[in-house]
Amino acid sequence: MSEYSNRSQAGADYEWHYEYYEDEEPVSFEGLRANRYSIVIGFWVGLAVFVIFMFFVLTLLTKTGAPHPEMCDASMKPHVLIGCELEVGGSLAFSLPPLPDQSRSLFHFYIHKEERVKTHKDAVIGRGMHCGRGNAERADEDEHFMSSFNIPNFVNSEQSSSLGHDDFLLSEPPIITDGQSDELKTAEPAHLCYDIIRH
Amino acid sequence: MNPSAESPSSIHTDCAEVQVPGQVFLVIAVASLSENLLVIVAVIKNKNLHSPMYCFICNLAVFNTISSFSKALENILLLFKDAGRLNSRGPFELKIDDIMDSLLCMCFLGSIFSILAIAVDRYISIFHALRYHMLMTMRRVLIILFTIWVLCGTSGALMVGFFEAATVKIFFIVLFFTALLLILLLYVHMFLLARHHANRIASMPGAQAQHRKSGLRGALTLTILIGVFVACWAPFSLHLLIMMICPENPYCECYRSLFQLHVVLLVSHAVIDPAIYAFRSVELRNTYKKMLLSSASRICKRCA
Repeated sequence: MSEYSNRSQAGADYEWHYEYYEDEEPVSFEGLRANRYSIVIGFWVGLAVFVIFMFFVLTLLTKTGAPHPEMCDASMKPHVLIGCELEVGGSLAFSLPPLPDQSRSLFHFYIHKEERVKTHKDAVIGRGMHCGRGNAERADEDEHFMSSFNIPNFVNSEQSSSLGHDDFLLSEPPIITDGQSDELKTAEPAHLCYDIIRH
Repeated sequence: MNPSAESPSSIHTDCAEVQVPGQVFLVIAVASLSENLLVIVAVIKNKNLHSPMYCFICNLAVFNTISSFSKALENILLLFKDAGRLNSRGPFELKIDDIMDSLLCMCFLGSIFSILAIAVDRYISIFHALRYHMLMTMRRVLIILFTIWVLCGTSGALMVGFFEAATVKIFFIVLFFTALLLILLLYVHMFLLARHHANRIASMPGAQAQHRKSGLRGALTLTILIGVFVACWAPFSLHLLIMMICPENPYCECYRSLFQLHVVLLVSHAVIDPAIYAFRSVELRNTYKKMLLSSASRICKRCA
C-alpha cells in the first residue's frame, strides 16, 4: 500500500492522503516457528489418517462379523436360500405371478432361512409369507432381515439366484433391468416361490 | 510501507500464490464434460434407467456438465484476456464473470445435494425396501429435483452477489459438513446392514471365500466414495473457513496461496463422480456397449 501525503501550499489545516487498497499489506513472515505450510501438511495428513482409519474400521467390521448360526439348536440344519419375487405394489403374496406392466417394480428377495424341524415349519412359512417381516422369533432383527434382498437398482444382474451373493450397492450397484426381470419372471418364479411352501 | 524496496528475506518467506495454468482447467473441464454428457445420454436413451436412482445420478451428471462447461468457458475467456482481446475490468466482462461464478456456485451446491439425494435414495431402498416404490414415485423424484434446482439456482446467485458477507461462506461450510456427516452416517449404516446380511449368508457352508472378498470390496468402495468426496470438497471449505477466521496469519496465508489447486480438486470431482456413481452400474455399461455397437454398425452400413 502506498501512501502519498499531499500538503497544500498555504500552510493548510488539512492533510490529504491517497490510500490505495489494491495491494494488501503483505503478511509478515518473520519469525515463523514451524514450516510455512504446516496447515496444509496438517490438513492432508489428517485427511489421509481419517480415510485410512475409516477403511480399517470397515475392514475390521467385515472380519469380526464371525458367522454364528443364530437360530440353530444343537443339531445341524441345512440352510435354504430361497429366492422369492414380490409384487412391489405392496402385496406380499409372493406366490402371485408378477404383472408384466409392473416389471420395473420387481424385487428379488433372497430369504436366508434355516430349515427347521417340522414343528417350526409354519413359522418359517409364515416368515416366508411376509418375506421376513414381523417374525416373532426374530423381532430384534426385523429390520436387518429385510436386508437379505437384492434391490432393483442394486442387484447383480447376472446372478440373480446365487448364494454368497454379497454385491450390494457398496460393491456394485447394478440393477435388474426390465428385460432381465422379465426373463427371470418367466423362468423361475413358480419354482422359486414354491420352495418356501414345500419346505 | 515502501513497496519499491522489498527486503530479500520477505521474498524468500513469502507464500506466493500457486498458479495453475489455464490449460489444466481446460483439460479437466473437457474430460468432465464428455464423461457426464455420456452419462446423461445413456440414462435418457435407456428406458430401464428411468428409475429414481438413475434420475438422481443423471441429475448429478447434469450439474457436473454445467459446472465443467462454465469452467471451460471461463478459461477460454481468460485465454482471450491474456491475449489482450478482453478488458478484464469492463462491465460486460464483469457481468459474464459474475454469471459464470454463479453458475459454478449453483453447480457445486447442486452436486452436493445430488450426492446427498443419491445416498438417501439408496438408504430408503435398503431399509424401506418394500415401500420404496410407494415412497419414491417418479412424481416425488421430479418434485425433489425441481426443489434442488430452485434452491441451488437462487443460492448460487445470492452467494455470488453477496460473496463478501460471511454468511455465504458459513452457509457453504455448514452445508459441506452436514452433507459429509449425513453421507457418512447413511453409508456406514448401509454397510453395517450389508455386513450383517453377509455374515448370515456366510454361516452357510461354502461361502467363506466370497464373504471375505466381497466384504473388502464393500469397504473399499465405501472408502473411495467418502474419501473422494472429502478430498475434493474439504480443501475448498477449509479455504473459506480460513478466509473468515485468520486473514492475517502467515500460516493461513500460505494455505490460501494454494487456492487454485483447491479449485482444481473441486473441478476434478466432476471427473471422478461418473466413475464412482454412474459407471459402477452394469446396466449403464451395457447401454454404452449397445450404443457403440449400433453406431459402429451404422457406420459400417454406410461404408458398405
